[in-house]
Amino acid sequence: MPTASFKEELLGEIKNLRAFAVSLSGSVSLADDLVQEALLRAWSNSDKFQPGTSLRAWLFTILRNLYYSNYRKHAREVQDSDGFYARRLAVSGDQESHLDLEDFRQVLRRLPAEQREVLMLIGASGLSYEEAAKVCEVGIGTIKSRLSRARSKLVELLGRDEARDRPAERKIRRGYPRSFSLRRASTRQNGSNG
Amino acid sequence: MKAIRKKTNAAPGLAPPDPRALEAIGRALEAHYADLVQAPLPQKLVELLARLEAGDSASEVQGNGDANG
Repeated sequence: MPTASFKEELLGEIKNLRAFAVSLSGSVSLADDLVQEALLRAWSNSDKFQPGTSLRAWLFTILRNLYYSNYRKHAREVQDSDGFYARRLAVSGDQESHLDLEDFRQVLRRLPAEQREVLMLIGASGLSYEEAAKVCEVGIGTIKSRLSRARSKLVELLGRDEARDRPAERKIRRGYPRSFSLRRASTRQNGSNG
Repeated sequence: MKAIRKKTNAAPGLAPPDPRALEAIGRALEAHYADLVQAPLPQKLVELLARLEAGDSASEVQGNGDANG
């Protein structure tokens, strides 16, 4: 049985685990299956977790292994029929800012999975290079080069999408900060409902 | 040229990204992630957690899940 402190820490990581799963698989329903299975595995293998190391990285490793061994082959078909996950997750009433985040997600999904996961691990989940290397079972140099490729590719794709109207850089500067209003927008909406 | 490429760790075949673009991407990634993290957990996961916390072993919970689904 897991210790009380393990349980408590695990509960605190579930939303991060789910966010990583959605980003990795590109599908909410797939992500929820993945999280469920990863949680069960973590729970019954809690004695294998080394206290003092990152529980987040440990959980991500479990989930990632599950994804690549069992789920990846289904990912493409599910992604296509699932609808875009942002529409199912976001409750923003602010359509304009929603679109900016949506644009970004569309582009994110066009990256190879190995680049997308490194972006998520380091750029969003706050893992160190060492932890990300461990999660992905590659060297730190590989992590750094994937991260660099991923960022360059994002800049390129965002630029190409917007090339018809205006330079990518302006689009990025103009559009992205607005996606920060998402959380406020959803809070407002919740507030007015209650 | 080779030395520069190595030093900046730039991906081959792609122009070195504008620092402002990189910064914007960093913020967009954070916003994307924050939006996912703040989404409520689905009922399925809430129930799973409740069962685990109630003291069922993972194998029992897994078994029940299979039988129901």
